[in-house]
Amino acid sequence: MMSLKALVLTAALAAIGFSASAQAQSCGDDTLCKVKAAGVLKIGTKDDYVPWSYRAPDGSFKGMEVDIGTKIAETLGVKAEFVKVTSANRFEFLAQGQIDLMIASASDTAERRKVVSFVHPNYYSSGYTLLLPKAVTATEWSQLSGQTVCAVQGAWYNKPAQEELGLKVQAFAGTAETEAAMTQGRCIALLEDDNQINVRLSNPKWADYHKPLPSQADTPWGMAVRQSDHAAPFGLAIAGMIAEMHRDGSLLEMEKAHGIANSAFLIKMHEALKDHIN
Amino acid sequence: MITNIQTFFQDLASSGINLTIFYDAFDFDRFVTGLGNTLLLILISALLSIVIGAGCAAILTLSNGFAAAIVRGYIALFRNTPLIVQMYFFYFAIGSIMPVGRNELGLPQPLISSFSWAVLSLSLYSGAFNTETFRAGIGAVHNSYEEAALALGYGKRQAFFSVTAPLALRFSFASLANNLVDLTKATTVAYAVGVAELLYVSNQIWSDSLNTIEMMNVMLVIYLVLTGAVVFIINRVEAAMRLPGFGLGDGQ
Amino acid sequence: MNQANLLAQILEWMPFVLQGFVLNILMSVLAIAIGTTVGTFLGFGQISPNILIGAPAKLATQLFRNAPWLVLLFYCIFLMPYQVNIGGVMIQLPSWLRATIGFSFPVAANFSEIVRGSVNSVPRGQWEAAEALGYSRRATLFRIILPQCVTRMVPPWMNLYALLLTATPLSMIVGVEEALGRTQAAVQAQSDSRVLIPMYLALLAMFFLYTWPINRLSLMLERRFRTK
Repeated sequence: MMSLKALVLTAALAAIGFSASAQAQSCGDDTLCKVKAAGVLKIGTKDDYVPWSYRAPDGSFKGMEVDIGTKIAETLGVKAEFVKVTSANRFEFLAQGQIDLMIASASDTAERRKVVSFVHPNYYSSGYTLLLPKAVTATEWSQLSGQTVCAVQGAWYNKPAQEELGLKVQAFAGTAETEAAMTQGRCIALLEDDNQINVRLSNPKWADYHKPLPSQADTPWGMAVRQSDHAAPFGLAIAGMIAEMHRDGSLLEMEKAHGIANSAFLIKMHEALKDHIN
Repeated sequence: MITNIQTFFQDLASSGINLTIFYDAFDFDRFVTGLGNTLLLILISALLSIVIGAGCAAILTLSNGFAAAIVRGYIALFRNTPLIVQMYFFYFAIGSIMPVGRNELGLPQPLISSFSWAVLSLSLYSGAFNTETFRAGIGAVHNSYEEAALALGYGKRQAFFSVTAPLALRFSFASLANNLVDLTKATTVAYAVGVAELLYVSNQIWSDSLNTIEMMNVMLVIYLVLTGAVVFIINRVEAAMRLPGFGLGDGQ
Repeated sequence: MNQANLLAQILEWMPFVLQGFVLNILMSVLAIAIGTTVGTFLGFGQISPNILIGAPAKLATQLFRNAPWLVLLFYCIFLMPYQVNIGGVMIQLPSWLRATIGFSFPVAANFSEIVRGSVNSVPRGQWEAAEALGYSRRATLFRIILPQCVTRMVPPWMNLYALLLTATPLSMIVGVEEALGRTQAAVQAQSDSRVLIPMYLALLAMFFLYTWPINRLSLMLERRFRTK
């Protein structure tokens, strides 16, 4: 038994040791230098947010945010490695260095800016609203005060929905659970990003649902980097790439390719940044 | 006085220790609700699991047929699979095929709330462990007690319920305390099915206010207090039920 | 055929979920190894007559036995750094490893109780006889008491391992890519609520098929080693 224990421990330590890299040390704090030295850009993303970020059976990540991340890594000349993050750990992973860039449908809010830095321009935007059954014919938010809705844990709009709109929010770990809960009748609606609801409504599965209420608090999403990277070459390189993707329409194309109706924010950004000559 | 407490914690926040639950009314409400739900979960599940455990132990001792086989299968299943997966299975898988009632608005209304599913799952999980505990307790009662009862004309069932069971209970307290402490800690798993217990509300609070470390410390302290209370209560019950002169039987 | 389609779909995702299950097993094996080692020392510390060793050991044991495993996990994931610099070499600690360390704490505490319990179950007479023969406390412990304890410790140790394995899915809440987290991702990617029951059944089956034999083995060993 002793030798088996020792064997397992040694194997584990060896596996860890192999990921040590002396080369990265000469870069100091410069994330861009470290990423290029390692040849890998570690990007944190969710894995349960169809079609922005989800999994294929072979374990790889797919989705619009995955495509954006892959393009950024290609431009930097490195490989993209995606790491699954949850709302419980995404900012901590970034701060600790487990990921260098976070593209995980995070809304750019003042509270979060105290912990991480968001890269500007923002790459996406959404407001929040409710996916309601067609049987519910409310047109004003006030009509639904006191009703229970299902949401995902960690969403920034859970608190305002409860405090300002008077809804009772039942939060679950992921979107699969919220759907299952709603079908069981534990809540009357799904509280989500309006773009995600649009995607759902284009699926015949949700033919009996609609989105009658006006979207609230349209808040841009941001890619997050560590605060030290905000004004450093790494953060600025990402900023430039996002601006370029708005400008040449890549983001609009990626959105369409994943079955999402072109959102107002992306159209607006493309118009604002596009070439004035060509 | 409340405003004094609130100001104290607000000042503390500016110096780095951010405990919003003490100065933000909304967070305070949420937190108290979470604590209340945790306490309810512990109480109801503990009672149910003791009943289930005692009942199943009785079945295993008294019969050897179909009922005993079912109990054995139940224990094997619930002790060898993770609680969180059991809860997911109950809530999402079984919950999705249960008949759904309709409320006044004509909207679907589930027959069993998430809290009830959590209680059911926790009780069944802890009940399986309690069954083993009570069985060990029954095994620790020396045969001579049962034989004496039978010699006095008690039937087998009577002997069990009147003589063996009360003695077995006294033997089971230490192990029962263990199981109930595990149950107390296990209530955190109900977070996964949307029950607003302590971990769930703490997660929401630290998602909004980004004070993860502070909230984790608060939770740790609260659970230590809760488990201490459970052990204390069991010890008091044991002391109250102690039979003078009745020991563990191997005092050579 | 709709049923065949569903089955094929689920089977397609099985390798993905099974890879996660391998991680559960790896975490449990490492955690039991670390926890047993540390727990042995903690257990000795608890039975030590020296209060400077005994009191902290007892305190540590009680603290880690009564803290919820999930809270300990959160601490380890958030408070332990991702990279450590040991003697000029950067070692990375992935989340599954930090989760494993998080599990080792309660395992060590529980094992320390097992050690304490089994040492205490050896009849007083053994200690007295050893003392009469001139053995030091240390020698008594290691050469007379412990060898008798080992067989008593094996069944509860195996129970502890089963408990640990069934606790490893908790790490999905902190983002470890183990079986439960992967099952969730798979369910989500398929966007089909019919797969909920089969996929979670498959997950239950995986755990059951691995843990139940361990349970039976532990029962068998317990019967063999039972002292009359």
